[in-house]
Amino acid sequence: MTTNVLMTGVGGQGILTASAVLSDAALLAGYDVKKSEVHGMSQRGGSVESHVRFSAEQVHSPLIAWGGADVVMALELLEGLRSAYWCRPGGVILFDERRILPSTVVAGGLQYPADCLERLARHAGTTVVVRAFTIARELGEPRAANVVMLGALSEFLPVAEEAYREALGNSMKSKALDINLRAFDLGRAETGTGAGE
Amino acid sequence: MDFGSGYPGTPSSEILPALAELGVGHVEWSVNEKCALEAAVGASLAGARALVTMKHVGLNVAADPFFTLAYTGVKGGLVVVSADDPDMQSSQNEHDSRHYARAAQVPMLEPADSQDAADFVRQAYELSEEYDLPVLLRATTRICHSHTPVSFGPRENIARGYELAKEPEKYVMIPGYARKRNALRLEHWHELMTLAETTEFNRVEKGDERLGIVCSGVAYQYAKEVAPEASFFKIGMTWPLPRARLHEFAAGVERLVVVEESGPFLAHALRALGLSVEHLPPTLALGELSPGRVAGAIAGEDRQGPRGDSDLPPRPPVLCPGCPHRAVFVALRKLKCFVTGDIGCYTLGTLPPLSALHTCLCMGAGIGQAHGINTVFGETRSVAVIGDSTFVHSGITGLINIAYNESKSVVVILDNATTAMTGGQEHPATGRTLSGKPARKLSLEGLCRAAGIDNVVVVDPVDLANVETALQKALDSDGPAVVIARRPCVLLSRERSAPYSVDAEVCVECGQCLRLGCPAISSEDGRPVIDAGLCTGCGLCAQVCPTDAITQDEE
Repeated sequence: MTTNVLMTGVGGQGILTASAVLSDAALLAGYDVKKSEVHGMSQRGGSVESHVRFSAEQVHSPLIAWGGADVVMALELLEGLRSAYWCRPGGVILFDERRILPSTVVAGGLQYPADCLERLARHAGTTVVVRAFTIARELGEPRAANVVMLGALSEFLPVAEEAYREALGNSMKSKALDINLRAFDLGRAETGTGAGE
Repeated sequence: MDFGSGYPGTPSSEILPALAELGVGHVEWSVNEKCALEAAVGASLAGARALVTMKHVGLNVAADPFFTLAYTGVKGGLVVVSADDPDMQSSQNEHDSRHYARAAQVPMLEPADSQDAADFVRQAYELSEEYDLPVLLRATTRICHSHTPVSFGPRENIARGYELAKEPEKYVMIPGYARKRNALRLEHWHELMTLAETTEFNRVEKGDERLGIVCSGVAYQYAKEVAPEASFFKIGMTWPLPRARLHEFAAGVERLVVVEESGPFLAHALRALGLSVEHLPPTLALGELSPGRVAGAIAGEDRQGPRGDSDLPPRPPVLCPGCPHRAVFVALRKLKCFVTGDIGCYTLGTLPPLSALHTCLCMGAGIGQAHGINTVFGETRSVAVIGDSTFVHSGITGLINIAYNESKSVVVILDNATTAMTGGQEHPATGRTLSGKPARKLSLEGLCRAAGIDNVVVVDPVDLANVETALQKALDSDGPAVVIARRPCVLLSRERSAPYSVDAEVCVECGQCLRLGCPAISSEDGRPVIDAGLCTGCGLCAQVCPTDAITQDEE
């Protein structure tokens, strides 16, 4: 049985870092893991998507099947809606309501949808709002919004908390680790409903 | 390995920096892929093991040495990694570089995950040395930019003696020698075809006889995901193919389906071997594969899968806030220029609202195209725009051509001191090597003048008026002209000035600042608002504002 996590957001929000930490955590927890993403455009404000799959058995495809994501994790509202169709029936969409206007809205005359929340709810069994950016900003490190979201995500996945903490430690210099571990804890507290399997 | 060379190109760019970090021999960014391969050939001649990395279009640049290398052969093993980009996530085309293996007749390996990649490279060196041929290792995005677990054996430091023996009959490809080498090459090839029948690069996984799937690369993973019960022929050495073993496999299954990225290379090759491969919709050769698409292929269909809500505003990549290229495009747009463009972040200048770049073909092509256009018209009808790294890669020859064959072309070199779009790599005009050590710095203006172009100016694109003046002067001049717009990439310099903000009282909502396409400027009910967190303080918006409504905040 494979766990499939789709992470999405805007280039620069730290999606690739978050998926790297999750993959590392899953590996540390003893799973076979595959992760895939597209580089290159990520720092230019384009949409970013990363697929993470892990299982106690062998994982083959690095890409999640259509409509096969157990959790869709979105750091930005529009990207959450754009990727919502990946969510399987009964799956979870975890998202921040933060809006970053794309160039097509700012200068192209298109509209940022006003009904994102309602439309998101149609794609998933459960939708959960995580104020990741707000929490990170209050913590004094807005760039850690991705780690806050990772903390929130951890409540829904069969990976021990210790594995995330070790993975975070592996991924950054010790100077930055403290605040990121706090960000992780705050995110975990946001969704601390024990909803994980 | 002892020697690594290449040129940045998604999805291959991460390989050389990773090797540099491991401290493996000499690793360099070469000027372009042709240089990289030629240097690697030299290293191989001296007995070193060499690895060359590039994306699929980069192999086009290295094709000249690549073909004749199959005749001369190697000394130290030589592996060429070509990373294809199906679906053109960041390329100008999605061609299948596997055709090079067949055209040049060199062995080719296709790893199906990271463990394969690690194992195959090691074995590729042995293969290369034993059969006296370069080896092409071909991967695609979902192999390169996927992370999968790898187990390594202990690291061996192999002390290799380097020496240089004079063997002109092997390495000097004059016709008399080349004909002999070609015949020898064919002999080695037949030996390889024999090896192919038993090599462990390929693997048969017996399953249900009703369905036989022949596959390579990441397509193998997708097929295993959606049809685990089938019989599989996993191909790791995609060229030469094991004719007998494939016939044996085909005879044991009712249906024979080939799944591959980008296709239909394998399918055609199998049919040429006399096998009955099912025909798939030709559109399966377009774009990337996925588990769903492979499931469709097995059913004989090209399923496109679900899409997101189609009314959502797209989010294309854009030039960063503070990008020095923006001012140049604003100036070119104002002057209503036809702009022949090239490959880099600045290719984004083609998108609205900048809409100031009108062609992009391949590395260095913008300069050549401008020359052709301006020669036909006999005047400056087109301006070429090219980045510093792209210029060094393959713009120099085009510029010399402009000077030598005399067209009234204006070339704008966007010098942001990096190879930005691929991740900020160094190049000969940055003054640093791949590892960040100081290096001789190529003088772009010196080179332009050496080509015989006197009209060369350097401007700082922080000042829009200066850029416009320089461009107009260049357009009015009576010969070729170069404008070098020089300012470091904003991701590189990280220097920030105080942000700007819009005074709503003074703003007349003309929309000029919104036409810059700057991600820091958005509009609320027509009124522009600047995001202080994104603004880098470049001041371009203030320069285009007709009412001075945009001013810089206090530090």
